[in-house]
Amino acid sequence: MSVVAFERKQNTGEWSERELSTILAALSAATAPGTGREWETGTTEKGDVQFYLLGSLPDQACELCVSRIGGRYILEDGLGRLLFEHRNLDLVALHAKAAVPSTSWLMVRAITLWCAVRSAFHEKAEPWLVEGEELFVQFVPQLAAFA
Amino acid sequence: MKRGKHQDVFAERAAGKAVPEAKQLRKLAGDWLKQRRADAELSQADLAARLGLKYYTFISQVENGFSRVPTEIMGAWASELGIEQSAFARHLLMYYEPELHRLLFGAETK
Repeated sequence: MSVVAFERKQNTGEWSERELSTILAALSAATAPGTGREWETGTTEKGDVQFYLLGSLPDQACELCVSRIGGRYILEDGLGRLLFEHRNLDLVALHAKAAVPSTSWLMVRAITLWCAVRSAFHEKAEPWLVEGEELFVQFVPQLAAFA
Repeated sequence: MKRGKHQDVFAERAAGKAVPEAKQLRKLAGDWLKQRRADAELSQADLAARLGLKYYTFISQVENGFSRVPTEIMGAWASELGIEQSAFARHLLMYYEPELHRLLFGAETK
């Protein structure tokens, strides 16, 4: 049996729709409306494509960068630290998702939840408290008379 | 440099909106760095190798105006480009922290 060696298809040129979809799907929470984040693409001087996840205004500095060099995907942060590299973009996208600074987003959610709970508590419990206070004010003189 | 399809919609909505100053200044810094690297006859890969970086993608990130030259490697970056370190840092400060630069050195032309 003879084996025909197929040449591996070189993954070069512009980002494909599939590649961008993979990255954006992984970063959907990070780029959700309200986070203030945006993304852009660019190239190195050799024409290797790069994807930049940008932080919010006013600085809009790069938080994460995914580059493709000769079919290999490179994940770096905005300080040039190499976070991960692999030929499989799905894996790189997963690492990108995990690497996004998400504290502020969690904080926003926690604060929103706290405000909602507090508001609901005030709406329900305040009339009860006021009623109880009124009853207390009415009965205190009578209780004092008995004492 | 291109923008994603979905961003075009937002770009259209925000038509006429000025590019944020910090971003614009970082781009100018990147253009300056690219020119200085060309003057030193270095490729992005050459510079990355001399700075001990595994890939040249970060050099591109900085030159495209998306990141700053980190302070930790600013001196080495300057040396590889054949520029005096303090002059290099001072020039970059003009783009990265214009107000601080003005306070320290007064008004200067870029």
